[in-house]
Amino acid sequence: MSPRFQMRQAWTIATIEMRRAFFSKRAFWVYLLALFPSVIFIGHGIDSKIRLDRYKSRGVVAPAALDSIRAGMTDQEVIAKLGAASEDDSHTSRKRERTGDDEDGKRKWEEKVTHHRRLAYFDGSRRANFWFEEGILRDSQVGELLNFEEDRSVFAAVFQYFYLRLAIFFGCLGIFMNLFRGEMLDKTLHFWFLAPARREVLLLGKYLAGLVASSVIFTAGALLCFAAMLWPHSPSEVAAYWQGSGMGHTFRYALAAMLGCVGYGSVFLAAGLLLRNPIIPAVVLLTWEGINGFLPDVLQKLSVLYYLQSLCPVPAPTDPGMPALLKLILSPAAPASPWVAVLGLLAVTALVLWAAAQAVKRLEINYSTE
Amino acid sequence: MNGHEIIFEEVSKFYGEVLGVNRVSLRVPPGITSLVGPNGSGKTTLMNLMCGLIHPDRGSISVRGLSPRDPERMMRITGYATQFDAAPRWATGFDFVTTALLLFGYSRKEAERKAWKALELVSLTDAAMRKVAGYSKGMRQRVRLAQAIAHDPQVLVLDEPLNGLDPLVRAETIALFREWGAQGRHVILSSHVLQEVDVISDQVILIANGMIVAEGEIRGVRDEISEHPSQYIIRCRDASRIASLLFDEDHVTEVRLNDDRLGLLVLTKNREEFSKALSRIALAGHDIEGVIPADENVDALYEYLIGGGR
Repeated sequence: MSPRFQMRQAWTIATIEMRRAFFSKRAFWVYLLALFPSVIFIGHGIDSKIRLDRYKSRGVVAPAALDSIRAGMTDQEVIAKLGAASEDDSHTSRKRERTGDDEDGKRKWEEKVTHHRRLAYFDGSRRANFWFEEGILRDSQVGELLNFEEDRSVFAAVFQYFYLRLAIFFGCLGIFMNLFRGEMLDKTLHFWFLAPARREVLLLGKYLAGLVASSVIFTAGALLCFAAMLWPHSPSEVAAYWQGSGMGHTFRYALAAMLGCVGYGSVFLAAGLLLRNPIIPAVVLLTWEGINGFLPDVLQKLSVLYYLQSLCPVPAPTDPGMPALLKLILSPAAPASPWVAVLGLLAVTALVLWAAAQAVKRLEINYSTE
Repeated sequence: MNGHEIIFEEVSKFYGEVLGVNRVSLRVPPGITSLVGPNGSGKTTLMNLMCGLIHPDRGSISVRGLSPRDPERMMRITGYATQFDAAPRWATGFDFVTTALLLFGYSRKEAERKAWKALELVSLTDAAMRKVAGYSKGMRQRVRLAQAIAHDPQVLVLDEPLNGLDPLVRAETIALFREWGAQGRHVILSSHVLQEVDVISDQVILIANGMIVAEGEIRGVRDEISEHPSQYIIRCRDASRIASLLFDEDHVTEVRLNDDRLGLLVLTKNREEFSKALSRIALAGHDIEGVIPADENVDALYEYLIGGGR
């Protein structure tokens, strides 16, 4: 048979299997995993927009005036500079302090009363809180209500720690393990084995089905999440980002999500052929990918995650609360160049699919042992 | 001739420690061949081996010159209605048959035409658009049969194909098998209904405990069993007299009179001598209405060859 005919067969198999991958009951939690971060970002966006509108309605001060406020100023001086605060609240604290002992040896106490005041202002993008004690500015906090850099960094962390390590990982586990193992459990695999198609063509067809389904679900999920991250920011800020590196970043996130499906998909497809219990490969691979950062450089390159992280445009922030010892051990390998990352991942995938093809050729229909 | 036969050469298959079939050597010519044996004797294993669903641990198999390890070519000429009852959840009866045909490379239009034709043959057009998962056992049997025959295969392998079919469809299916057998195709089926096999088959393969006990045309197989006397039922009016005449023959080992005294069962060690003796008796004026071989059917063969295994 000609390769063209075999490709047609593979595509016929893929189209049938895609229905199963997209619409089966088992796919429900895959959608849940893919859309969960988007829901969080959309929620954050809505909250930010509501707060922005609320602060704006209470008055906006000039940014330069806000920057001119210094510690030690009185509340009246601040009000003179910035006008009436959008939020103005005060309270009094009482504290008993020991002042010494009297002649009888009894302790002497004195009650100290302090007046606190908080004034809040908004300059259109930044929110400022000033705390006064006895009318003197003691502390202040000025922060962007919506910080574009911070949000991008949060997205990078969500994408790398949740999306790549968990969502795509477990999504592919569900989709690809099910392609052969699920049919063994349903006792329907013989339907394919009795078709006039090479087993490798069947493998390719099923892999394509899983790949299209997982790529569409997770790439769309990642892009939706990215859009949800951009949405509350000012149009000018977004436009500037889009004209700069935005398009490239979007492409690289989409590529990383898709290649995640390519890599993890091949691994779980092979695992579904070689092993009966999906928990075993999941735990082994999750552990391997999890300890990846602590391994020597050479071993780090033997993981899907290494190549995917190399493709990510923004490095994920590390946890500032991480124990010092852990920080010391953690030694991420230098990221691969995008070309090396893509080709490396495709090479790993080809190798795994070749092993899967050998396994599927040997596979027998023996439902009674399932 | 090899290109037209199904050949098993020293084929063994084990499921772990459990024997599937052991050192099976067979040459199956075209026509209707029945695999007969008790449950667990290895009938389905032989069929699965033939169609590449499982692979032999030893030996080799050739189906009309093709290897079951080459499904791309072999399944083009082979249709297999398995005993596996499950069908893909997505499939309606029509989808089930059409999809398989699409993989043969037929255009959708041609695949649908062939699917309808096959579904018509098994009288399943009314339920064609319903999900297979909701079919009754008999309907599932029929849809599997439709799928197996839809591409007009040269080799048709059928595991218990007549189970669950109503009498009309059953008769039509048997007629179809006969037609296909007469066209020089292989129709290989397994059945527990021995009378059915007896009527349908050109040849039988008797299997027990994973080993071939006998193979060939039913009569030929029967001839090979020399240690068992042949049995004949004679219908006649003068049964007592004929019985005493037959007792005088050396080759006759036993004669049993029917209760109605209008017939007798004769066991003989020499069929030719028995035939001559009957001629002599008839020429002497005794009225013999008919002579029927009583053990040229798979029931008897089963009994002789497998004994209590059934």
